[in-house]
Amino acid sequence: MQEGTDIEKARAAKATFLSRFAGVAQVNGVGLTRVGAGFGVKVNLADKLEPGAELPEEIDGVPIVVETVGPITKRAV
Amino acid sequence: MHIDSVRELKALVLKQHVAPLAVGERKLSALALAAKPVTEVDGTQRTLALGIMPKGKEDYHLAIRIQTRALENSAQVEAIRKQAKGEVDIRYIGRVVKRAPWNQSRQRPLLIGTSIGHFRITAGTLGCFVKMRSNGTPRILSNNHVLADENKGKKGDAIIQPGQFDKGKKGKDTVGSLDKFVRLSASGTNFVDCAIATIKAGIKFDSTKLTGIGTLKGVSASVVDVGTIVHKVGRTTDVTNGRVTAFELDNVVVGYDIGNLRFDNQIEIEGADAGPFSQGGDSGSLIVNDDLLAVALLFAGGDQGGSNGQGLTFANPIAKVFDQLGVDLLS
Repeated sequence: MQEGTDIEKARAAKATFLSRFAGVAQVNGVGLTRVGAGFGVKVNLADKLEPGAELPEEIDGVPIVVETVGPITKRAV
Repeated sequence: MHIDSVRELKALVLKQHVAPLAVGERKLSALALAAKPVTEVDGTQRTLALGIMPKGKEDYHLAIRIQTRALENSAQVEAIRKQAKGEVDIRYIGRVVKRAPWNQSRQRPLLIGTSIGHFRITAGTLGCFVKMRSNGTPRILSNNHVLADENKGKKGDAIIQPGQFDKGKKGKDTVGSLDKFVRLSASGTNFVDCAIATIKAGIKFDSTKLTGIGTLKGVSASVVDVGTIVHKVGRTTDVTNGRVTAFELDNVVVGYDIGNLRFDNQIEIEGADAGPFSQGGDSGSLIVNDDLLAVALLFAGGDQGGSNGQGLTFANPIAKVFDQLGVDLLS
């Protein structure tokens, strides 16, 4: 079985992602998640990307997992 | 009466005596409603409820429950009594109201997972009880936006249980006062949304009972990992089970009344069952792992995403919350 990405490599990929894509309006949260036996970068989008816009599927071999999560608000009544 | 006979009688009484009571505007006065425009009157009026009650072995009576004083000793009730040849149980029960769930009601001793809030806000959740590192005195822990009204609260402001949205009133439901909060920043990066309140003298509290889950055992020493199963008890969704889906989440923008605020180092959780892990009103809930050790403080969420499509919940790591407020878990 292939070994997964270790957490430090995933943290470095997360930092790279943030430096390159934090300005994308839809990006709303970049963190770490599990992919197979190792770690990957989790990217949350508040909305779908504009047509033609793309995010990488991996950075330095670290998988990028993208999910549309909608707007996030405080959990008050 | 035989069960089939009483069923027949019930259907007949419903048709002959109860259905005509379903009033239109012409008969409103018969039920002694306070005068107000008909458009404001609820279309469904309280009249008579019908049922069947056992009376010994294989004997049944018609049950009539009177829901308005206007029909007590009325001609309609007398006619039903006559029709049932006395084999009827008639009682006045008045207005039947929906009971608020336990965690949206007043609870003394104070309990984790119940409705609470600064007197000006709607309602959030009482997360847990903590003690000051400085002198060991107890405090209530929840979010800044629950206990401190998003930085607008002043030290000493009343904290009420239940919260205002759940009919809590400043004065009779005051359980303590705002003591300390970590300011929410609209321009910089936030790590926590938390505040503590003092507990009024004489108000008892149960610091370990996680109603519907078990007994709070302490604080988790390990970093929460993806896949960790977690639980919480909150004001709105009560007990829910979740699964950690991401951690060390930065650049999370959360909508508040004071604007969109950025949070770093957050934990992301999805519902582990059919529903969401949290909804509005669950803010401030303490999140525990399977060993009933505290891992995070719930503060935000959305309605999309997660493997069940019911949305994601976001929470502050509990160690950071405790360090920022200078408190430890009281257990």
